Amino acid sequence: MKTVTVQSQTPVVKTKTKESRFKRIWKNRTLLLMCMPAIIFFAIFAYLPMPGLYLAFVNYDYSLGIFKSAFVGLENFRFLVMTGDLWKLTFNTIAYNLAFIILGNFLQIAVAIMLNELRNKWFKKISQTIMFLPHFISAVLVGLLAYNILSYDYGLLNSFLELVGLDPVQTYSNPAIWPYIIVITFLWQSTGYGSIVYFAAIMGLDKSILEAAEIDGANAFQRIRYIIIPWLKPTFIILLLFSLGGVLKGNFGLFYNLVGANNTMLYPTTDIIETYVFRTLMTNFNFSLGSAVSLYQSIFGFFIVITANWIVKKVSPENSLF
Amino acid sequence: MLKMKKFFVLVMVMLLTFSLVACNGSSQTNSENKKPTTKVNENGEIDTSEFVNITMMALGDKPTNGQLEKVMEQVNAKLEEKVNAHLEIKWIEWADYMTKYNLTLASGEPVDLIITATDWLDAWGNAQKGAFMDITELLPTYAPKTWEEVSDESWEQTKYNGKIVMMPEDSFTQWVNHGFFYRTDWAKEFGINEPIKDFETLGKYFQGIVDNKPGVIPWDTPGTNVTTAWGYTTSYSDEIELPIATGVFPIYWGKSADDPYTVVSPVFEDLFVDYAKMMKDWADKGYWRSDVLNYKGDTRALFQAGKTGADQHHTETFSTLRPQMDVKQPGSEIDMFAWSDTRNNLISMSITHGATAVGAHSKNPERALMVYDLLRNDEEIYKLFNYGIEGVQYEIVDGKRVRPEGYDETKDSFASNFWGGRVDKFEVPSSDRWEGMPEIYEEYDKIKKPFPYGQFVFDSTPVEAEIAALSQVTAQMVPAIAFGKAGDPEKAVEDFRKRLEAAGYEKVQKEIQKQMDEYKKLVEG
Amino acid sequence: MENTYRRNVDFSTIMVRVIGYGCIGLFALCCLLPFVLILSSSFTSEKAIMESGFALWPKDFSTFAYEIVFRNPRLIIGSYVVTMGITIVGTAVGLFIVAMTGYALQRADFLYRNKISFYIYFTTLFSGGLVPFYLLITQYLDLKDNYLAVLLPGLLSPFLIIMMKAFTKSIPHEITESAKMDGAGDFTIFLKLILPMSTPALATIGLFIALGYWNEWYNAMLFLSPNMEYRPLQLFLYNVITSADFIRNSAAASNVAPQEIPLESMKMATAVVATGPVILFYPFVQRFFIQGITIGAVKG
Repeated sequence: MKTVTVQSQTPVVKTKTKESRFKRIWKNRTLLLMCMPAIIFFAIFAYLPMPGLYLAFVNYDYSLGIFKSAFVGLENFRFLVMTGDLWKLTFNTIAYNLAFIILGNFLQIAVAIMLNELRNKWFKKISQTIMFLPHFISAVLVGLLAYNILSYDYGLLNSFLELVGLDPVQTYSNPAIWPYIIVITFLWQSTGYGSIVYFAAIMGLDKSILEAAEIDGANAFQRIRYIIIPWLKPTFIILLLFSLGGVLKGNFGLFYNLVGANNTMLYPTTDIIETYVFRTLMTNFNFSLGSAVSLYQSIFGFFIVITANWIVKKVSPENSLF
Repeated sequence: MLKMKKFFVLVMVMLLTFSLVACNGSSQTNSENKKPTTKVNENGEIDTSEFVNITMMALGDKPTNGQLEKVMEQVNAKLEEKVNAHLEIKWIEWADYMTKYNLTLASGEPVDLIITATDWLDAWGNAQKGAFMDITELLPTYAPKTWEEVSDESWEQTKYNGKIVMMPEDSFTQWVNHGFFYRTDWAKEFGINEPIKDFETLGKYFQGIVDNKPGVIPWDTPGTNVTTAWGYTTSYSDEIELPIATGVFPIYWGKSADDPYTVVSPVFEDLFVDYAKMMKDWADKGYWRSDVLNYKGDTRALFQAGKTGADQHHTETFSTLRPQMDVKQPGSEIDMFAWSDTRNNLISMSITHGATAVGAHSKNPERALMVYDLLRNDEEIYKLFNYGIEGVQYEIVDGKRVRPEGYDETKDSFASNFWGGRVDKFEVPSSDRWEGMPEIYEEYDKIKKPFPYGQFVFDSTPVEAEIAALSQVTAQMVPAIAFGKAGDPEKAVEDFRKRLEAAGYEKVQKEIQKQMDEYKKLVEG
Repeated sequence: MENTYRRNVDFSTIMVRVIGYGCIGLFALCCLLPFVLILSSSFTSEKAIMESGFALWPKDFSTFAYEIVFRNPRLIIGSYVVTMGITIVGTAVGLFIVAMTGYALQRADFLYRNKISFYIYFTTLFSGGLVPFYLLITQYLDLKDNYLAVLLPGLLSPFLIIMMKAFTKSIPHEITESAKMDGAGDFTIFLKLILPMSTPALATIGLFIALGYWNEWYNAMLFLSPNMEYRPLQLFLYNVITSADFIRNSAAASNVAPQEIPLESMKMATAVVATGPVILFYPFVQRFFIQGITIGAVKG
């Protein structure tokens, strides 16, 4: 729908903009008011603390507070580059996140579509409930369970392998398979929960369109491919853009508990920025360093999203975030 | 529909009022006028006419069985009588305690007393960041007994930039030197009839378990325990630990107790290669799980259940573990192989292993000090605050503390976790402790050497980033080496050294040495 | 909700259904198994766990872990009540605001929608960090030891607002237009037309908000000190575990008498206690996931 412009037709330039602006606000007043609670909320809880990012650039002295502490420029960022691991870490973090985002969404869509096709109400209810339960198992527990399954001496996996006559595997010493383990664990934890969004989106699809397609002779696969999937595209793009903002941030709990605090052998393939920083700050507790890393992640994510959103704007403008 | 509109308006009003309150709130908390409430009048007497609530930050989980409240009632009655104040404990629970402890200090919350420690609570770091108040002038007036009792030398060790920032727990005997606990009954089975005093014999003990005790892992430890690196260094050299943290393992040590001012690093010596080799050997022989680095088990519980042959911790833990083991595994007669046993390389504890500071934003530092003075020096209050109510939490039988008849751990247990001012003179040994401890303390007293770094506070500001990088490297390399999971030991140590150098090892070493040289001048004059 | 056209359900549909039942069934099983493991371990004696690890069926049945967790029934019931209270209030208020904002932002005739969308979205990219947040809550808002410290920060999430925006976009604009022609104001349209039509969206978002509150422990840990009698469930349970854990292994707490605590089975028991109620959430909400009642209203 086209917006109705309120621009006045009088030739006086000054009053023209003033008048229209006020009139514009007045016209949109209800909608604006409806957004007010959110605007105030974010002003208080997000924008008010934001200047605190300055903490990343100071040598924090509690008695002086953040803004009066000594300015040290980029000093707090130095430790990140000093051991030379920064690129590797960034690469790992991004690679994992991309795998999570792409595979995750793909699976979630698949699950949602399949669920939609099923008829048995009880099955749907029960399976959906079961599927989103893993989301609630704390990361610590997941690590514990994983250890119970994968450990060399007493793990379930090796017991099973021995039972069928195969050799036991040294999972915890083998860095190569861990990307798979981590991704699979992540998918296991998040698919059920994430599929709900897509499921709800499918619910918003007009059923009569599907009916019409069926009458016209489209089979189930065609219906899915040509109606449901395009319908889900906007949702997917929004979720994608959203996740990209956090592409350099990691699921610390998952990595830390699965890989463990000390298993150096696995670090080359499993270390992400947040676990790296955690190890650093374990004994030398330092808020400024933590803040510096956080800032690095944010800036990186920011540029990625701006780029991605710009691309989306070119391709299908209605789906861009802003 | 009208209801909905009303609701909507309500929500809006709520939010608007909220933001107004927020603005008011901020102006209030930021204008703190420090009104001195406890002054000394002309007669030299302290004016305690105004009642004051003193808060103390302590580590631990608040007991929920009501006993704390009962004890505090009595404690506070006495405190009120004597100095017109009440004590309220602010508990920092164990969950994420480092974050909470530091956040509380950083946020400028006005706490009065703070339990701190130079080793595990980063006392110096926090002092540097301005979390503690300078109490040099206040001590003699408001905590006279403590002021007298602690020697001048000891006060020197609590100074930061020439100002006293904490009160040390200096007359409390506590040995937290580490080592291994092992079972002498099993050792004898394997032909080891003398107390274990070095790593080689320990290795024999472990081998004995592998050979003779099927299903028992000699040392079933989680991969987080890399104390053997510290232990090996202490056992096979005269080097002593410097109070400079670099992650899971301190890279910088003092050359020896006789020459503490020369900074060295065991990592760059052959010693460390020998260590790496031994650990690899032990790993191959199966002295711990093959997935040790990810294992999260509880060694102590396993040790008590007879499922493992060794546990690692310090002397204080041993004092309570021994009686427990005598009950759970009769005949085990566990003993301790302390790192210092090998070459008598034992340094006294730092007196600031436990200490109490006054918060920089405290509104009643004078009264806080008076309360502390009482907690530490008034026998009745001391016993109440540390042990609980006589007859309920404990009874004294033959000079020892025992649990009274009908004592129920859940209902009657009590703890105040006051680890900043205990004193030997009021301590009544608990029957939970092993009676052989006095002998051990005697042994230690004979060989111990004084702690040389009491007044040394390392200013890490010029090398903050390097220290962070070094910490990262140790966290990454030491566990693998400590458990023999780093491949060829020589190569692994080589790699470790290279990374340390890349992370700024040289620069930090020079800086530490520089500050150490100045410290030497300060101490030796 | 079954459609009544039961003509010939063609082969492809059957295929899809078979694949669907198969895959979903398998996946659900994968999700269920670890829970069975956790459940059974929570009822196993600590001794059996130490000897043989976790198993799908208790080797040595024992309810000791639960006895310890529920040792103080007053506290745990209090935790449940507090958590439910926060969840219900938070979900109700949060859902309403999210829905309202999301609807407003997708209105193509709303001039400021892009700016406000960006304003909201930007907060997900940059965050002041832990220290400023802590200072905000404790110093500026003075919410220490106040349940609002847990309730408020979790009220709105940019993700959910934008999701709501996406969902309501699928409701045809004709509805709004025709209502406007009938003289209805924006808010009325939202209340009487849009909300009833967005039940799946509301259900989803409400579910997420509720689950977020249910799971919340970090803010509780930071801002609710032990001085408060009743604290959210997750925090309570987390404390039960860490205090036992810590006392076992710490150097400082060496003179604290270690109790007979079945740590491993307790970890499992607390997981069951914490997650159990979640099973009830979804079925409650599931009935809102009904399809396509939007149309018919317009086409008619």
